[in-house]
Amino acid sequence: MSDTAVGEVRQRIRELLVEVFGGPSFVGKVPDAVSLREAGVPSTALVALLVAMEDAFGFEWDDDVRPEVLRSIDSLAGHVVALRG
Amino acid sequence: MATSAVPAPHGPAEQFAAGRRAAAAALAAAGSAERTVPRARDGRPLFPPGFTGSISHTGRLAAAVVSPGAEAVGVDIESALIPPRVAAFVLREGERRRLLAPAGPYTARDLFAAKEAAFKAMNCIGTLGEFLFWQIGLAQAAGALSATYRGETVPLWIGSQADLSFAVAIRR
Repeated sequence: MSDTAVGEVRQRIRELLVEVFGGPSFVGKVPDAVSLREAGVPSTALVALLVAMEDAFGFEWDDDVRPEVLRSIDSLAGHVVALRG
Repeated sequence: MATSAVPAPHGPAEQFAAGRRAAAAALAAAGSAERTVPRARDGRPLFPPGFTGSISHTGRLAAAVVSPGAEAVGVDIESALIPPRVAAFVLREGERRRLLAPAGPYTARDLFAAKEAAFKAMNCIGTLGEFLFWQIGLAQAAGALSATYRGETVPLWIGSQADLSFAVAIRR
């Protein structure tokens, strides 16, 4: 998967986060590698983002997904890219 | 338990300050001479020794609970609507069937807060490793709600108003 594809996934995740959480200026300031929770994204918005990602990227989260996968925009994008092979 | 309103513009700084005000009030009510609650490197609030506590906030309200001598405390307040898809993601089928209204007494927001509060009270148990709050199971017996994950169980108390749910979990 190319860097461009990874970047596109990151950008789509940011768009989804704006859709479920609002605050495009806030979301725009969240660095890719920073914990979304520590950045101030509430748990309700984080779960809504995970649900939106299922629809946007066409997969379902496993029940035993590792917490570090859900940590940041980077880790979320990495998971999507890995699923695509 | 103590609460403090989050002033405008209701951002992270205002929410943090309101949380510390609520924590100071809860510590005072619990008899602690120390009222400050610094932030650990991982973001967790560091309550004075012997005065175990927890803080939660929405954009409008912060709440803190202190339980002297408890091993761990978790509190969560939620004001956001929980859409059905989000409820289905966080709550197991059996939890939805038995605990959600009209069959059960709780709203999805109540149970979301319950799992978050339980997570805060349980995620310091080293033997549990890292886990996600929705992986905790909820059950009710004889009117008492409890949360369980990998054999560890904590009791839960839920309060609910029209625009707010709050939950408290205390491990002793």
